[in-house]
Amino acid sequence: MNDVSRFTLDAFEDPLSDFEPPEYSCEFQRVLAEESVSALASQPYVHIRASAPIRQAVQALHGSHASSLLVTENGQVVGIFTERDVLERVAEQFSKLASRPVREVMTTEPTVVYECDPVGTALAAIAVAGHRHVPVLRVDGTLEGIVSPRCVFDFLEQYFEDASH
Amino acid sequence: MGFRTDLEYDPISSLQLRDPIIVHPYTLLRAAVALMRSHSLGCAVIVDQVSKPIGLFTEQSMLGALVSNASLDDRPVCDFAEPRFLCVKSSQPIARVWDAIQRDRARFVVVTDDESGKLIGITGQRGIAEYISDCFPRQIVVQRLGSKPWMQQREGA
Repeated sequence: MNDVSRFTLDAFEDPLSDFEPPEYSCEFQRVLAEESVSALASQPYVHIRASAPIRQAVQALHGSHASSLLVTENGQVVGIFTERDVLERVAEQFSKLASRPVREVMTTEPTVVYECDPVGTALAAIAVAGHRHVPVLRVDGTLEGIVSPRCVFDFLEQYFEDASH
Repeated sequence: MGFRTDLEYDPISSLQLRDPIIVHPYTLLRAAVALMRSHSLGCAVIVDQVSKPIGLFTEQSMLGALVSNASLDDRPVCDFAEPRFLCVKSSQPIARVWDAIQRDRARFVVVTDDESGKLIGITGQRGIAEYISDCFPRQIVVQRLGSKPWMQQREGA
């Protein structure tokens, strides 16, 4: 080993030398913090064109029992249309709005999670932010699916016996 | 001791119950929808003359009314109410709510007073999510929440 490489090695200080991995009191805590959203069985999503009439979107919401529709334009997701959007912006003036395009009443820029985020992020979106339908994106920004409270609960239930707080 | 044991031990009254929206069977759809919108709550509880819950009008019920072209000004909520809903007492264990959500696929559960049977609150999926979050606060990651891709959310170098 020559002098240059010896100097480099001697000067190197491992930045992770003081790193202490988190300790969890139970498997349930570890799952919330370390298992990724991709472990959840996210639901296949139902989508509708942004130019589709609101009546069609409401019928799709009712018929599919999906509670939410992803709104697309030229193949890209531009928003989400949920039961809550119907309640807040559509229901009381449905007859006037029924033929208008869904893009006028959808929620733009919905809260999203990434498939590599921890499960705790999806739970935060539901419990703290109050969303029931959260789009899941892949790392490249394309859509993977939708997570709902049911997806999260189904997943967490298998760890109930190894959970304490 | 597993989490299921906690659910069996903690009473429903320890959940953060939502104040219920109360309507009567012949409340018109428009009035019920306006109340739900103004309170940002996805259901209204239909009660009888002694305030006992007898039905649930939900956002799904509302969709049913809209697709059937029902007039919001003429039709009452009882025409579109959910045929089944679960009612629990506040002293019962949270496991009752969990089972209603997971086994019966309920979204909302109506909570009544132990003695009088009167309606005191609403809980459901959100209530359970909040309960788990309260039990494991350090694992609930709110910092990652957002509506834009990571690179667009970042600031600085």
